[in-house]
Amino acid sequence: MATTIDEVYNNTWDDPRERSPLITGGLDYGQVTTTVTSIAESPAPPRAWYVLMAISLCLVGMLGTLLLHLILSGVGVWGNNNPTFWGWPIVNFVFWVGIGHAGTLISAILFLFRQNWRTSINRAAEAMTIFAVICAGLFPGVHIGRVWVAYWLFPIPTEHLAMWPNFRSPLLWDVFAVGTYATVSTLFWYMGMLPDLATFRDRATNKWKRMIYGILSLGWTGSARAWHRYEMAYTILAALATPLVLSVHTIVSFDFAVSQLPGWHTTIFPPYFVAGAIFSGFAMVITLLVPARALFNLQHLITMRHLENMCKIIVATGLMVGFAYTIEFFVAWYSGVKTETQTFVMRAFGPYWWAYWTMFTCNVFIPQLFWFKKVRTTPWAMVVICIFVNIGMWFERFVITVTSLCRDFLPSSWWYFRPTYVDIGMFIGSFGLFMTLFLLFCRFLPVVAMAEVKSIMPHEHEHEEDHH
Amino acid sequence: MTQSTSHNSHSAPATGPTSRLVGILAEFSTPDQLVDACDQARQAGIRRMDAYSPFPVHGIDPAIGITRTRLPFLVLAVGLSGLFVAMGLQYAVNATDSIGPFPGYPFLISGKPLFSLPANIPVTFEVIVLSSAFATFLGSLALNGLPKFANPLHRIARFRKATNNGFFLMIEAEDPNYNPRTIRNQLEQWGAQSLEEVHLDLTDHKLPSFVRMVFVLLLAVCTLPPAILYRSLGESNTVPRLHFNPDMDWQYKSQAQQVAPDIAVGDEEERPMFRDLRAMRGEVPGTVIRGQLRDDRAFYTGISGAEAGLALNAGGASYVSIPNAQDEAPAEPDWLTQFPSNEKFAVNAQTMQRGKQRFDIYCAVCHGTTGEGNGMVNQRALTLNALGRASWVNAKSLHDYTVVDQPVGRIYDTITNGRGSMGPYRSQITPEDRWAIVLYVKALQDSLADAVAEDEEGKWVPVRTTPPAPVTEAEPAAADATTTEAETTEASGGQN
Repeated sequence: MATTIDEVYNNTWDDPRERSPLITGGLDYGQVTTTVTSIAESPAPPRAWYVLMAISLCLVGMLGTLLLHLILSGVGVWGNNNPTFWGWPIVNFVFWVGIGHAGTLISAILFLFRQNWRTSINRAAEAMTIFAVICAGLFPGVHIGRVWVAYWLFPIPTEHLAMWPNFRSPLLWDVFAVGTYATVSTLFWYMGMLPDLATFRDRATNKWKRMIYGILSLGWTGSARAWHRYEMAYTILAALATPLVLSVHTIVSFDFAVSQLPGWHTTIFPPYFVAGAIFSGFAMVITLLVPARALFNLQHLITMRHLENMCKIIVATGLMVGFAYTIEFFVAWYSGVKTETQTFVMRAFGPYWWAYWTMFTCNVFIPQLFWFKKVRTTPWAMVVICIFVNIGMWFERFVITVTSLCRDFLPSSWWYFRPTYVDIGMFIGSFGLFMTLFLLFCRFLPVVAMAEVKSIMPHEHEHEEDHH
Repeated sequence: MTQSTSHNSHSAPATGPTSRLVGILAEFSTPDQLVDACDQARQAGIRRMDAYSPFPVHGIDPAIGITRTRLPFLVLAVGLSGLFVAMGLQYAVNATDSIGPFPGYPFLISGKPLFSLPANIPVTFEVIVLSSAFATFLGSLALNGLPKFANPLHRIARFRKATNNGFFLMIEAEDPNYNPRTIRNQLEQWGAQSLEEVHLDLTDHKLPSFVRMVFVLLLAVCTLPPAILYRSLGESNTVPRLHFNPDMDWQYKSQAQQVAPDIAVGDEEERPMFRDLRAMRGEVPGTVIRGQLRDDRAFYTGISGAEAGLALNAGGASYVSIPNAQDEAPAEPDWLTQFPSNEKFAVNAQTMQRGKQRFDIYCAVCHGTTGEGNGMVNQRALTLNALGRASWVNAKSLHDYTVVDQPVGRIYDTITNGRGSMGPYRSQITPEDRWAIVLYVKALQDSLADAVAEDEEGKWVPVRTTPPAPVTEAEPAAADATTTEAETTEASGGQN
């Protein structure tokens, strides 16, 4: 029987003579299954789950109340005002969409590059993507003001409106990009989950569970013919999702870059936004998975090596983001446009200097700690650094959105943006929504892609005598 | 190691007409054994078989004889249609006037083309990805025959290991090389740990008929809301449409020349939008409207020196005669005697031409093309006077000695602010054009300095008059309803 290597083994060191194992703990196929299914099969989740769920539900309640207040009163309850028409709602939108990108990167791009270590974390990361995109979609959805005519965003023929959307507008591109992203991510996630849902179905002990998981798994049996088409479909979906994930944040950056506002109108935005998105997304994956693996005893599946690899990606993308911050100043100076130069000087030394330097410190300086292996292999240190990274990435979007808008072309309309309690409450509430969905996912769905993990376990061309 | 059972664990008897043998299911302990067994079965001539494993086992495709799936071609076809659908939609919607029964909507933005690849690629790309992803997902499910909830394999308890840690091979009974007597031995030889027959239950398990009825009814009910919505929002109607939130139908708005709207909410007392009740807002003190900075005051007022500033600040002094108040004429200011000179105005032939053209448009109707005060309006008005239907004040001859002696600043001021019964022209004629008219008027006066003309009595008299010994007072302009029309064109009169 195939088993993985013993748990005392430290798999973060590379031995040139053999590959470091991706799964530890001496688990065989059955034990991998029980490790993952026990979360859903245990009669009650850990107490921490209830505590977190209670907090998250309170925040969701707050979010719902504020949304109702917003819809009944109008967008004036936010801090947005002339000339800062894009305040926190759009900052939060870009922040959440960015978070989602790591999930697709792990599930699609690392799949195409045959990075087998992705198998332990891709399911949770994809779930995170979908929940982050839900939180992201919420903000522009209510930012349109009159939510009851949100269908005007889509090309629906009506005699009533007698109008079509402008297909050359970046904001419409955004509707298509984020809509496609949410749909394709969900398809990809669900497709990947089919075999594991079948596992849940086959292990279900009560009638209701068997029926629900039975319907969700669509009658999957694991036939070799089905696996053949499934693998082909999965590869195609990965190949589709790869350019898609790059296009989504590119198009989000077009919302800014295609306009002519100083500080926005720049060609560096698409790569800079994508790098930032992956940076913040990986930070969020670590922030979620370090506690989750401790809470649900997944240390043998989500090993230190997985966490260390993600830390390395955070350092790499953090450097890219830092490089973009620096080169932005050079481009502003090199453009010779006075307003452009002034905008960037204002960003770093103007009224929002505190936001700029918070961003710079959290995104560029603090992640440099990951150069030390000790930090890269200490879970609590990773979480702390990753929380800083996410604070920094939120501030990056704040700096881009607010500093450029507050200093528009007419000096008489310059002002200092201040959020209202609704802005702050809705942002905090969106974390509640995100956490609620993630906690439900942990409790009721396969957190780790069991079938994929089993397929990378050392089993091929080995005979029983090697192990027993 | 072989523990063969002829029947599975479920309660229904698997014999008789109620069930049919589908095949035989063998379990293996490792993926390698499964691949070996598939290989052996294939060598034994068996074609109708399938393997079941918790994860894709590599090398099993050739062993079973699975050929490469057609899925990529399906996805390519759907993706290409996505390309054409997206391009066609964008072209039809944004670059044509109508698509079928619906009107198109071309957006004209900064003269940019209505359809251009760079701007239309993002949406095209997203539609291709979206349609391809659906083709991949639904296509793979369809090729795999999913969803399929009724599968005889699910009735076998042992088969539940197939999604956990079991490796199974099923050989179908319909295979021509399936021999019920030898197949068990063969499978055991190939390494099977356990064998079970798979039976298809043929007993009737149809849904009760009322369930189907309820389902159809529910489906019908579900189509009602969209139908009602389309009926009320999409189609042409003769009655007011269903309106969910009429929030933008009634708004506060300010209209020209009216008082500011009342923005009181509910039972609140009247609350005007602006405290001074005016809907039209004046200039903010200390500000200058764009393009209205008039720092060259002499040019704009016709008055030289410090007085010019006062005249400008007062909004321009009015010399338009007011009945009963005409003896309160203000003191004459220090009029400009020389033409101003700046980037807007210079004395030259071009300006003279401009002045003639403007004079012929605005002045000649009353004052006449030669300035003798015999324009068409004047002639008609005098006829009406004679009939007693108007009380028109004769338009001034510009060759009158009182006008000839006037400084240029004074003539400019007359055009700007009006005088006597002549109305102001400051809103019709720009300052530089007014100066051009003044220039032309001066030229007219010079050109007819020695000319003579026939008067009403047939006598030849000089066009330019000379001051008489006793100063005559002109009749005040009578404010009569019938003169209003004439006044608004041009009429010059009064005591000057």
